[in-house]
Amino acid sequence: MTLMSGEIYSYSELAAKAGVILPTPKTEAWKYTRLRDLLGTDYQLCETTSKKGENVPFSANIIHISNGKIVSELPHIEGVTFQIISSAEALSNYPFAKMNAAYLTQGLQIEISGTLNQPLVLNYFMMPEDKNYFYHFRNRIICKSNSKAEIIEQFTYDGNVKSCYLANIVNEIEIQSYAHLDHYKYQNEAFKANHIALHKVNIAEGGKYDSFCLQKGANIARNETEVSLNGEKAEAVVNAAYMMNGWATLDTTTNIYHYQPQTKSSQIVKGVIGGTAKGVFQGRIHIAPNAVHTSGTQLHKAILLSDTAEIDVKPELEIFADDVKCSHGAASGELDKEQLFYMRSRGIGEEEAKNILIEAYLNDVINMIENEKIREWFKSLR
Amino acid sequence: MNAPLLEIEDLCAEVSGKQIIKDFNLTINEGEIHAIMGPNGAGKSTLSYVLCGKPGYTVTSGTVRFKGKDLLSMSTEDRAREGIFLVMQYPVEIPGVPSTTFLKHSVNAVRKYKNLPELDTMEFLKLVREEGRKLGLDNEMLKRPINVGFSGGEKKRMEALEMVVLKPDFAILDEADSGLDIDAMKVVAGSVNSLRDGKRSMLIITHFQRLLNYVEPDFVHIFADGHIVKTGNKNLAVELEQNGYAEYVKVK
Repeated sequence: MTLMSGEIYSYSELAAKAGVILPTPKTEAWKYTRLRDLLGTDYQLCETTSKKGENVPFSANIIHISNGKIVSELPHIEGVTFQIISSAEALSNYPFAKMNAAYLTQGLQIEISGTLNQPLVLNYFMMPEDKNYFYHFRNRIICKSNSKAEIIEQFTYDGNVKSCYLANIVNEIEIQSYAHLDHYKYQNEAFKANHIALHKVNIAEGGKYDSFCLQKGANIARNETEVSLNGEKAEAVVNAAYMMNGWATLDTTTNIYHYQPQTKSSQIVKGVIGGTAKGVFQGRIHIAPNAVHTSGTQLHKAILLSDTAEIDVKPELEIFADDVKCSHGAASGELDKEQLFYMRSRGIGEEEAKNILIEAYLNDVINMIENEKIREWFKSLR
Repeated sequence: MNAPLLEIEDLCAEVSGKQIIKDFNLTINEGEIHAIMGPNGAGKSTLSYVLCGKPGYTVTSGTVRFKGKDLLSMSTEDRAREGIFLVMQYPVEIPGVPSTTFLKHSVNAVRKYKNLPELDTMEFLKLVREEGRKLGLDNEMLKRPINVGFSGGEKKRMEALEMVVLKPDFAILDEADSGLDIDAMKVVAGSVNSLRDGKRSMLIITHFQRLLNYVEPDFVHIFADGHIVKTGNKNLAVELEQNGYAEYVKVK
């Protein structure tokens, strides 16, 4: 689909041109996440790029992606081959992935064999000026058999924070037998921006996908993970934390498919929501008829800091096999008043006391990150 | 005579619309130890929460001055920073917050209020470990989330540790002896006594005389029906232990 530079398009108009039917408030998978602001905005193609971008406080190979385009030289890493891609699969079940393919800004194939000795950082950096830019970026990550890698995606911005830009990112991740990928994500987009991400993960026998996503920015943000456990003893950890004051909607959606016996998945998602913001968690665990001796667990917990904050939680378990271990849980509440009083009675100010409690609350899931440097980095971002 | 530290005049306070503290009067001078004894449900804990400004405890009339300042207009944290410390009957568990982290926030918040430089981590750890050791709280214990999974005795030792580290001018011990074995009580009493310097004052709230065997009070007050009904010296506590509270409690 060719777009004219400098022309203004609404996202709905772009969808119509590409034959994509975007979700409406009646679409079940999207009914809790208000898309109106996103669909009604006028967008234009990104023209500019910048090399500026936030660094990470540990040694890593970094690829800078500004306004949807790779702006740094691709690093030379033993065991990794990169290839720029200019076309991508539509993934028809996902309207935004279909849009991503139809209007692909750029994409990168990352093929990993062997063990990476330091993390690979994809540093997405938006310099929106006053324009509502949009970009569609696609990664195809292939973890060859027995390889081991850590990939970090970081989304930040600079410039006019009032811009309603849109970042639409799709990661196709293939984890071959006994390969192991740790996938981390930090999303801190501008407060009027929109961020839609899909991670489509396929895991072969004995492979492991271990992920954690911290979201604290954007106006509408959805982080959706689809995991297919296609081989015996494949395993997935899909953890997340989110925190938001203001009015944003932060959506965490997971679809975990257990197709083979002895597969394992676990999800822990913790949120802190204030103002009139909204947290959405939709988690589905599907266990196919032959997937015996599997285990799938899911837990969502949230703290509401105000009476006007909202949480929508939709757990779904579809179990078609016998002899499986499956559980889901959800809890939400306020900060504990007795704990707050106890801290204040020791001289700790109310705001500080609240922050300490929120920190402790989120640390629960952040502490599950094994790599100490990455764990401490996330703690500093919270 | 020493200067007054805490002056409570005609204090009335209620919880959930029910009046618990009625025309309560008490002056505590610098260096004095007062004990308040009374039957269950007399409002002794309410008094300690009112003095700390716990939300939900409403003062309806009366005044409280601490070091000459209007205490009731201060926030809970400012009262603590001014030097009031409540050893709680039921210390609160805070999952995810290590004891040392908690204490560091607390000590530095108080120091900041007093325009003192914050303690650096090494100085602070040295202080806490040393005081912790005296109280039988080892380093492993100090790394654990505060009060989480602690026994009743360990919680009270942690309260005592917070107190000796913060060095308050005025400590309120609310049933500090409840649920304690003799050894733990001696340890807690030891840290209370270690703070006595002729300037600091204490208010000990208790049912029983036994803690008063280890921390000797200057005055003993009997608290019933929302206020003090009798004041005496330490012998009053002994007397109460023998005769009970019956003669001070109105038949309802």
